Amino acid sequence: MDLNYSAEDREFRDNTRRWLEANVPTQELATLEERKAWHRKLYEAGYVGMLWPREFGGWGASPMQQAIVQDEMARVSAPPPINGLGIGFIGPTIIVHGTDWQKQRYLKKMLTAEEIWCQLYSEPNAGSDLASLRTRAEDQGDHFLVNGQKIWTSSGPISDWGILLARTDSKVAKHKGISCFLLHMRQPGVEVRPLRQITGSSLFSEVFMTNARAEKRDLIGKLNQGWEIAQTTLGWERGANSLGRVTRYAIAFTQLVRAAKELKRGGRPLFDDPVVRAKLGRIYADLEVQRYAGLRVLSALLKSDSPGAASSITKLSYTEFEKRYYELALEILGHRGQLISAREEFEEVDTSSGEPGTWATAFLWSRAGTIYSGSSEIQKNIIGERVLGLPKEVRADRLKA
Amino acid sequence: MDFSFSPDQQLLKNSARAFLDEHMKPATVRLLWDDPRGESDTLWKEMAQLGWLGLSLPEAYGGSALGMVETAVLLEEIGRAACPGPYWPTALAATAIERAGSDAQKKRWLSAVATGDARATIALLDADLDWNPEAMTTRAEKSGSGFTLSGTKQFVPWAHVADVLLVPAKTTDGLTLFLVDPSAAGLTLEPAPVMDLAARLTAVKLEKVAVPADGVLGGPGQAGPLLAELLRRGAVGAAAEMLGAARRCLDMAVEYAKVREQFGQPIGSFQAIRHKCAEMLLEVENSHSAVYYAAWALDAGAEDAALAASVAKAYVGDAARRVCGEAIQVHGGIGFTWEYDLHLYFKRAKALEPLYGDGDYHRELIVRRVAG
Repeated sequence: MDLNYSAEDREFRDNTRRWLEANVPTQELATLEERKAWHRKLYEAGYVGMLWPREFGGWGASPMQQAIVQDEMARVSAPPPINGLGIGFIGPTIIVHGTDWQKQRYLKKMLTAEEIWCQLYSEPNAGSDLASLRTRAEDQGDHFLVNGQKIWTSSGPISDWGILLARTDSKVAKHKGISCFLLHMRQPGVEVRPLRQITGSSLFSEVFMTNARAEKRDLIGKLNQGWEIAQTTLGWERGANSLGRVTRYAIAFTQLVRAAKELKRGGRPLFDDPVVRAKLGRIYADLEVQRYAGLRVLSALLKSDSPGAASSITKLSYTEFEKRYYELALEILGHRGQLISAREEFEEVDTSSGEPGTWATAFLWSRAGTIYSGSSEIQKNIIGERVLGLPKEVRADRLKA
Repeated sequence: MDFSFSPDQQLLKNSARAFLDEHMKPATVRLLWDDPRGESDTLWKEMAQLGWLGLSLPEAYGGSALGMVETAVLLEEIGRAACPGPYWPTALAATAIERAGSDAQKKRWLSAVATGDARATIALLDADLDWNPEAMTTRAEKSGSGFTLSGTKQFVPWAHVADVLLVPAKTTDGLTLFLVDPSAAGLTLEPAPVMDLAARLTAVKLEKVAVPADGVLGGPGQAGPLLAELLRRGAVGAAAEMLGAARRCLDMAVEYAKVREQFGQPIGSFQAIRHKCAEMLLEVENSHSAVYYAAWALDAGAEDAALAASVAKAYVGDAARRVCGEAIQVHGGIGFTWEYDLHLYFKRAKALEPLYGDGDYHRELIVRRVAG
């Protein structure tokens, strides 16, 4: 056991910090073009596509270096790069399962954000039970005809391409008849409607596909291999953001302490109230434990022990923590915690995904984490079955299959 | 950055597991419930031979000069076996003597600890239940070349088998640590039976107990920082032991859920049980991260070492109580019986929870440290 950062890690952190101090935008990025320009700047500095092999335009960096970059970016509240899903897992999917043509055509433009990517997996009736998806792709010789509806698509309106799971065989068991495609979003058969979530903003959208066209050359892997492909790359980069996320929580904690020192009850600061102090102590212990656990995951990634199903523990841990965290913060802050525009500096808080806002935004956003990328209930199923080896449950769809 | 055990640390873990599986079965723990000493001298001598008792002591005194990480590895296994005995109080007291003792004091006690010929403990809790050393009311008055101690120490672990008691008291110079002979005149021990029959706690009453000048450990008024450090180490060690108890309970719950059938199926196939087990594993793994981060931080002298010790104690205390309790829930009625072994670990975790600072105490320390 040695939890010291190496001399190279420390040097890399210093360089990253210096670069960010000199380059981080001072104004909010208002347009898509400004966001793309910032993304390209990050890419050229070596801070985007860090884990990708160099032959595909990446930087061949270590998970530690990536975690350090995420951490330093969180520290200065730097705007995140765009195309997070593309670079996080769609690109890696193409690298692992794609053809040479696909790699040539798509990867570099993904890295430079020349083309933005989205994920077309979830459907209104296929959430946790993703394999029951109904969007169909019919073989038309040189292309597939796609019909169906997707939901919870991040970056939908700005996306040029999407990675799509669609049913190509409805006669076999549900997870054996799914194929994986790359779908051009800028075509008449694809309609994107923004979906407003409880925070009031629209990070997600619904995507309607009516006789949309997926080219044959854009099939990933073999026909009906889509489920397998999706399984191998979901959670590809889980763990690499462990430090950055905790740093955001820690920055919010500093804000919470400032608030508790400034706000008064009965003529004395909330911070002097033993009940408030007990709450602060409890949640900070919880926060620090998330950091230690993040370091442990990172250390496993560095040894290229793929965390596998154990990454479900990490996801479950930090998303459930995040709910407890903001619930407690709002308990302490009372009405002040529910303001949707900040009047005081201590009321400004970024969400865990780096979106600026108030305590209310962060609190509302914390409800998303335990649903997206496999809900807490799905994670617990995975942990129970694959980590603890508990017997599979009897399920109606398994009885039928 | 490497969070995994070194090959040597893994070896220590494996050999401790194997040894305790053989020599400290649940039935052995039960036998010791009725034993007046509550521990096995044979086992103690074997632990000395394995090098456990001198694990963190200097080589000059027969120790192995290993760190808190190795100590935590061992304590996790001791907790896993709910092994009764004064291992941790003795090791902690030996650390105090090693840090602050004179050559004569070290010579008198450290080798004897490493060979298993001496047991020791520290009386950290005063008459009222405040873990803050400054709050103690035990006094030491100057008397001739030495001191006389008066006051009460509560819930001192394994004081009834100790050959030497480390007793903090206030002198006119401030907090001072004394080496006290348990058979000294004016000192009485009163056992305080608690629900874990293998955790032996004793009230130590001091009525003008004479301590000679060479019984002062470190200088008069100098004990404050040492006591704070002992509380931190104590807390991390107790957290490691609670982690072991929690992992044992989790393992038992998972094994039971695989074989116990209701409604024609193993209960582990039901989400109500499976999700509970997943939540227990989450708390156990996070506890592992907390314990070993804190242990490493103490060894490395990391700037957040004190914070990490409080985090580990506060977090693992809550987590172990919940995990052991939920293991009873997974078992249902059988888990509530005296015959079934779950309560050995459930009670051990609970017995450790208030030791070396309870959760409330450490949470307050956390707030002071991070928020002023």
